[in-house]
Amino acid sequence: MIFQLLVGNLTHGLLLGGVYGVATMGLSLIFGVINVVNVGHGQFIMVGAFVALTMFTALGLSPVIAIPVALVLGMALGFFFFYTVMRRLIKAPELTSLLATFAMGILLEEIAKLIFGADFRGYNWAVGKITLPITTIPMSKVYAFVGSIVIALFLYFWFSKTRLGTAMRAVIEDNEGARVCGVNVGWIYALSFAIGIGLTVMSGVLLTMFIPVGINPYMGGRYTLKAFVIAVLGGLTSPYGAFFAGLIFGLIENGAYTLFAQIPGVAPFPLTVSLAFWMLFFLLLVKPTGLLGK
Amino acid sequence: MALLKLENVTKRFGGLVAVDKVSLEIQPGEFIGIVGPNGSGKTTLFNVINGVYRPEEGKVIFDGKDITRMPAFKRTPLGLGRTFQIPRPFGSASVRENVAIGAMFGTLADKVTVDNALEIADRYINMVGLEAYRDKAAGTLTPVEKKLMEIARALAMRPKLLLMDEAMAGMNPKDIDGMVKFIKRIKEEEKIAIVSMVEHIMRAVAGLAERVVVMNQGAKLVDAKTEEALTDPRVVEVYLGHPADESKWRSDVWKEVRNKDE
Amino acid sequence: MKKTLPKYYPLIPVFAAYLIMFLVGFSIPGMWQMVALLAFYCALGQSWNIFMGMTGYVDFGYVTFIALGTYGMSLGITYLSQYEWLGIGIIVIGFILALFLASLSALLEAFIALRLRGAYFAIACIGINEGLRYLIEGAKFWGGSEGLIFFGALVQALGRETVNQLTTFWADFSVFIIAALAAFLNMHYMRSKIGYALTAVREDEDAAKVMGINANKYKTIAFLTSGWLGAAVGAMAWGLKLGYVYPGDVFVIHYTVECIVVVLLGGAGTLLGPVIGGLIYGLSKYWLAVIMPGFQLLIFAPIIIIIIVVAPEGVVGLLKSKLKGTKLEMFIE
Repeated sequence: MIFQLLVGNLTHGLLLGGVYGVATMGLSLIFGVINVVNVGHGQFIMVGAFVALTMFTALGLSPVIAIPVALVLGMALGFFFFYTVMRRLIKAPELTSLLATFAMGILLEEIAKLIFGADFRGYNWAVGKITLPITTIPMSKVYAFVGSIVIALFLYFWFSKTRLGTAMRAVIEDNEGARVCGVNVGWIYALSFAIGIGLTVMSGVLLTMFIPVGINPYMGGRYTLKAFVIAVLGGLTSPYGAFFAGLIFGLIENGAYTLFAQIPGVAPFPLTVSLAFWMLFFLLLVKPTGLLGK
Repeated sequence: MALLKLENVTKRFGGLVAVDKVSLEIQPGEFIGIVGPNGSGKTTLFNVINGVYRPEEGKVIFDGKDITRMPAFKRTPLGLGRTFQIPRPFGSASVRENVAIGAMFGTLADKVTVDNALEIADRYINMVGLEAYRDKAAGTLTPVEKKLMEIARALAMRPKLLLMDEAMAGMNPKDIDGMVKFIKRIKEEEKIAIVSMVEHIMRAVAGLAERVVVMNQGAKLVDAKTEEALTDPRVVEVYLGHPADESKWRSDVWKEVRNKDE
Repeated sequence: MKKTLPKYYPLIPVFAAYLIMFLVGFSIPGMWQMVALLAFYCALGQSWNIFMGMTGYVDFGYVTFIALGTYGMSLGITYLSQYEWLGIGIIVIGFILALFLASLSALLEAFIALRLRGAYFAIACIGINEGLRYLIEGAKFWGGSEGLIFFGALVQALGRETVNQLTTFWADFSVFIIAALAAFLNMHYMRSKIGYALTAVREDEDAAKVMGINANKYKTIAFLTSGWLGAAVGAMAWGLKLGYVYPGDVFVIHYTVECIVVVLLGGAGTLLGPVIGGLIYGLSKYWLAVIMPGFQLLIFAPIIIIIIVVAPEGVVGLLKSKLKGTKLEMFIE
């Protein structure tokens, strides 16, 4: 019985893990290329969630169409913030970039509150369910997972087969070296930041396919923290590492929850969240380069 | 009793043997030049002596104490001072503060207050001739000034043994001569043992060091009085790759030494 | 001795500011709450700054100290108020407990800080903060997510009159004391070997070690000091003053960010900075809450960004460069 429950929940966890993966790739990419930890990361996920919500409720469009829209909007936001703020902070002490990204996050939250209000909202994308012997899965989750795989593969090809992608990888590996080899590092910084934000906003759309209700301006903060855990798990500078770490994290989260729920006298949900952070803490101490890192 | 004694010290990095079974004794007040081409293990040897690295084998004994496994910060108060090949000033702090830091955490660490340390700093700043830059941020000095500041900082530690890493690298001949005179003066006034490490022997070491240790590929090749070491055919081979015309070599060496003494 | 006194001159404007704030709050009716809020921000900024200014580490999880301080006081009062003979002693014990919990957390953080730098350190500290919060909620100790509510117990133990005085005056007054103490310690450290050692460590840790500096020792001193002061603020301004604690209220990264904003507005690593930053931030927050309630953050966020880009050295940084070479210079640090 418990075994069946566990396997069922792990299946859901794996599907969610794909979305977590995409939601973290942007964080890793930005840290890898411009060495800035985006503390306002989750708020960009929130923007994506509102893109999906608005397109569905106001225009009646499926979230699948919201995905490319979110990418474009995210990249626009990324370029905007890069050229107005981040560009000036790349060489500055860490404190300033941490704080600047945090302030960006607050700004997004407050703008979202101004437009949409602070209530929890959601939409119902009815695309049926599939029933497996162990569990029933809404098709929306399957689409989200497929979407995340497609995005991850696309990114893989971008990095390995295109000139710009290769240049980005070169900057992650060795900033000075890349500069010497004639890579336009300034442009790579801007583009990476924009793509990172674009990916993140896009993942917000995917996320709404999992949490049909639960969209509000302040939903982002906890995803920032989850993304930290996943990014560290994946080696912090590697977008692929982040994707696989996302899958692992989804599994661990749902598995741990299922087990904690069997213990009497504890609250399983916060305990699961707590576990994630202690995992992060010990991982950083034991192997700061990440479980999947070098 | 020897001030510093290395017994069969070996330091490896993976498969590379950076320092290979080096034994060495330094007496109090002695001036030794360690010479050797780039990559011969000189800097690694320094780092083993002052605790940046721990050797895989052998012992480091300073002032009768086995310090082989002692962390770097505990060795300094025993009397080990050091300057770096590429100067490492605490950039945002002033010259005075930099030198005072040396006084505060050197051999006098338990005895000086901050005010004492600042006074000591002033004395050594005057000695190296940086009075004009006393309150300037150390990061803004020129490379030669940084080297002088590092020497002042190391002297303010009141060491028994001063390790000078390439004190004269990258200087023009005029500065080198000034530095040589200056180091001679330190040696006489402060009565400390000095180990000076240089890549190219002649000018810098010949007139200063009483003894020269030549290193090659991590091992000690020659350890002899300066005059003998400089003309040793093995040394010539290290530097020129083949036994060259020995008489020409010898005359070149002494021409340089004489030039300096004039 | 003659030399020692001028070294502490920069404390004069800081103490003067605290004294004026106190007098304004004490003598003008209705001002006390606002002044207490300002003192709270100044104290937190000053305490956080010791840690950041001297070591260069950005502790994003600083609120952990404040939260643990609150819990220390709350636990002390909750579990000891039944022993009537302890009297006001429960607050003393609560305060000591606050410092003890903060010490544990500070040592844990120091332990990480000795290994991790930069972003990794920031993330690890956030991890401890969140991990602790959800552990309390999940494992249901210290009252779990329902928290501890002990105002009633406090009234029963000490009487309504005393508790009234404690919560409306002494809790806030102690924040002033903590703020002044933080300024003094900061100044004292800057002018003692600790300050010199940490400057060296911040600039070049390996070279500092070769200079004879025990980097770990000095970092730990700074962490502990900063953590104790944060815990003291939490114990008095949150624990004692409010009479309850919920994990979801106290382990909130947002408060760390407020500390950082205060320090950055005034000038990071300076002595007067947190005071000026605390005043600007506290006053404008208070004022914005009155004229456009609910939109303070919408206005604050872009201001923070602009300050970071335009004047990263803060108000005191600008002031210092303006006063350079004048007699007033020695009062500003």
